[in-house]
Amino acid sequence: MTVAELLAVDDLHYAYGERVAVRSATLSCMRGEILGLLGPNGAGKTTLLSCVAGLLARFRGALRFLGQPFTPANDAAARARLGFVPQELALYEDLTARENLRFFARLQGVPAVGADAAIDGALALAGLQERANDRVASYSGGMKRRLNLAVGDLHAPDLLLLDEPTVGVDPQSRNHLFECLLELRRKGRTLIYTSHYMEEVQRLCDRIAVMNDGRVVAIGTREELAQRAGMPGADLERVFLALTGRSLRDDA
Amino acid sequence: MKLWASAVWIARKDLASWFRDRTGMMLGILLPIALVTVFGMVMKYAFGGDSGMPKVELWVTDEDGTEKSRAFVAALREVGMLRVLPKAGVPAPSAGDVRSKVADGDAHHALVVGKGFGAAMAEGKEPPLLLVRDPGRVMESRLVGIGLMQAVMAAAEGRGMPWLFASMMRRQGMSEQGAERVRAGMDTVQALVERFAGGAEPELRQPGVSVAAPTAFDVASMFEDLVPVQKEDVAPPERPKTLGYQLAQSVAGMTVMMLMFGLMACSTTLLQERDQGTLRRLLVSRAPRQALLLGKFLFCFTVGLMQLLMLFAYGELLFGVGAFRDPLTLVVLSVTWSAAATSFGMLIAVWAKTQKQAEGLATLLILVMAALGGCWFPLQLADLPWYAEVVTHATLTHWAMSGFQGMFWHQKAFTDPTLLRAVAVQWGFVVVAAALAWQLWRRRFLSG
Repeated sequence: MTVAELLAVDDLHYAYGERVAVRSATLSCMRGEILGLLGPNGAGKTTLLSCVAGLLARFRGALRFLGQPFTPANDAAARARLGFVPQELALYEDLTARENLRFFARLQGVPAVGADAAIDGALALAGLQERANDRVASYSGGMKRRLNLAVGDLHAPDLLLLDEPTVGVDPQSRNHLFECLLELRRKGRTLIYTSHYMEEVQRLCDRIAVMNDGRVVAIGTREELAQRAGMPGADLERVFLALTGRSLRDDA
Repeated sequence: MKLWASAVWIARKDLASWFRDRTGMMLGILLPIALVTVFGMVMKYAFGGDSGMPKVELWVTDEDGTEKSRAFVAALREVGMLRVLPKAGVPAPSAGDVRSKVADGDAHHALVVGKGFGAAMAEGKEPPLLLVRDPGRVMESRLVGIGLMQAVMAAAEGRGMPWLFASMMRRQGMSEQGAERVRAGMDTVQALVERFAGGAEPELRQPGVSVAAPTAFDVASMFEDLVPVQKEDVAPPERPKTLGYQLAQSVAGMTVMMLMFGLMACSTTLLQERDQGTLRRLLVSRAPRQALLLGKFLFCFTVGLMQLLMLFAYGELLFGVGAFRDPLTLVVLSVTWSAAATSFGMLIAVWAKTQKQAEGLATLLILVMAALGGCWFPLQLADLPWYAEVVTHATLTHWAMSGFQGMFWHQKAFTDPTLLRAVAVQWGFVVVAAALAWQLWRRRFLSG
C-alpha cells in the first residue's frame, strides 16, 4: 500500500449463480483522484461497484480501505465512509428536495447541529436552492440527476461511488454535473466513476480502469493506456476498442 | 399499421409479460378458484346447504330426565334449523352452566327443560321450559322459537296443537274455562283434519283435486312463538340498545378486513423502494439494515392504528356501536390487530418478487381469511365440518374478530380470558411473522 492509496480491490471475484460477473479484478484508487471505470456493457463495472458499496457481500477476494480490511456489507461504520450515487434516480418524488436531503442526512448520521449546513451545501452543489421546497416530482430530469448526486455527497464521504450518473440528462445539466464532480475533487473527495461515455471519462478522470469480461484489463492515465495498447497519442475511444475488442456486448 | 394489427401486437406483448411472472400468473388464476371454493363452502354451511335453512346453536339441559323430556330433546336434535349442544352422548351442563355460557357470550340461546316436563306434557299442561337468551340475537331467537315448536309438536306425537292454542289464549288473558273450551274446539278441528288427511271422510275433499295431507308441523309453523316457554334475557347492561348483532358484526368485520388491505398497500412500499432504487441507497447508508424493515413496520403499524381508531370513531358517530366505552380495551385490541395485520403485510412484501405477486397473494389470503374468520357474516350460524372449524381458528381474522366482538357485543374488557386469548394468539403471529419476514428479508434483499 502506498500512503496515497485509499481503496484497494484485490483479486475480486463475483458470480450471480453460474454466471461470473467479475473475475480476478484488481485495482487501487488513490486519495483525491477521480478514477474512471470504463467498460462495455456487461463488463462487470456495476457489480464491482456494488461489492465496494457493500450491496453484494458474497464475493471472493479482498477490499482494503486505507490499508485495513474493508467489509461495508456488515459494518455500518465502513459504509459511513462511502457515498453512493446509483444509476436510478433514487429519490422520493413525493418529498421536496430539502425533505429528501434531511431524510438521507439523518440516515447517514449527519449530526443534527450540522445538518442544516450540510443540506444547504448540497442544495448549492445541485443548484437547487430556489426549488428546495418543491416536490421532486415537479423537477426536470437534469434537476433530479443533480439532486441524486448531492444526496450521495451529503455526509462528505471519503469515497464517492458514482454509477453512470449522467444517464439521460441534457448537455447543460451534464456540464453542471461535471463541474460539481470537479468541485468535489478540489475539496479532496475521492471518486470512482463508471460510464460508457469516453469524452466524460477523458474530461473528468485522473486515471482510468478499463474492464472487459469481468477483468480489469488496464489501468492508468489516458496516455499510459494508449502506450499499453500500442497506440501512443490515440484518442480514448480507439484505445478502448483496442483493449476490449470490437465484438458486440450484451448487458447481463 | 392497421388498428387491429396494432392492438393484437399490444395484447401479445402484455400477455407475454403476464405469462413471464409465473407466480403472479398462478396467483391470478388461483384467486378466483379459491374464492369460489371458500365462499361456496361457507355459504353452503352458513345458510343451511340442502336444507335451505341456517342452523342456530342451542344449548340444552334436561333437568327432568323422563322419557318425555328425552324424546323432546331428541326431537330438538332432529329440527333442521337447530344445532343442539352438547352433542348426543355428551353429559349436559347444569342450568347454571348454560346460563353462564349466555352471560359470558359463549352461547346466545340455552334451553332448560325443567323438572315436571314429562308430567306436564302428559296432562296437556304448559311444560316448564326456560329459554335463556341474548336479546340482541333477534334473528336466532325467531329461529329457535320455530325450532322449539317443531320439537314440541313432534314430542306430543302430532297432538299438541289443542293445548298449545289453549296455552296461548291463557297467556292472552283468557280464563281457564275459556281456554279449556278453545282446547276442546281445537280437538274437534284436529280430529277433522286427521280424518281428512287419513281419507276417512272422502266427502270433505274437492272432487278431482289431490290434496297433500297437512302435518302437525305445517299447521304449527305459522306461529313461531306458540310454545309456552318462559324467557330470560341475559345481556351486558352496558351494551347500547341501538346496537344489533349484525351491525356490531359488520362494523368489526369490515374494519378488520379493510385494515388488512390498507396495510398491504403500505407494506408494498418496500418493493417500490427496491424498484425505484432508493433501497440500494438506504442499504449503503450508515443505518443498520434491520432499521429498514423495522421502519417499514412502524410506518404500517402507525397508519393501521390511525385507520382503526378513525373507523371506530366513525362507527360510533354513525351507529353508536359503543366503541369508546372501554378506551383501554379498544387501544389494546387496536394495537394488537394493527401489529398483526402489519406483520402479515410485511411477510407478503418480503416474500413477493414483484408487486403483482404481492397484490395477488394478499388479495387471495385477505378475502379467504375474511370469509373464514367471520368478517362478512357470523359463522355461529354455520354448521361447519370439523376441518373447517380448524381452518377458521387458524385464520388471523378469526382472532381479531373474536377480540372486537368480545368488546363490542359482549362488552368484555381485555382482561377477560376470551380477549386475552385472542390478543395472545395475534401477538404470537406477530412474533412468528416478524421472524420469518426478517429471514426472508435477509435472503431476498441482503444476501447478494
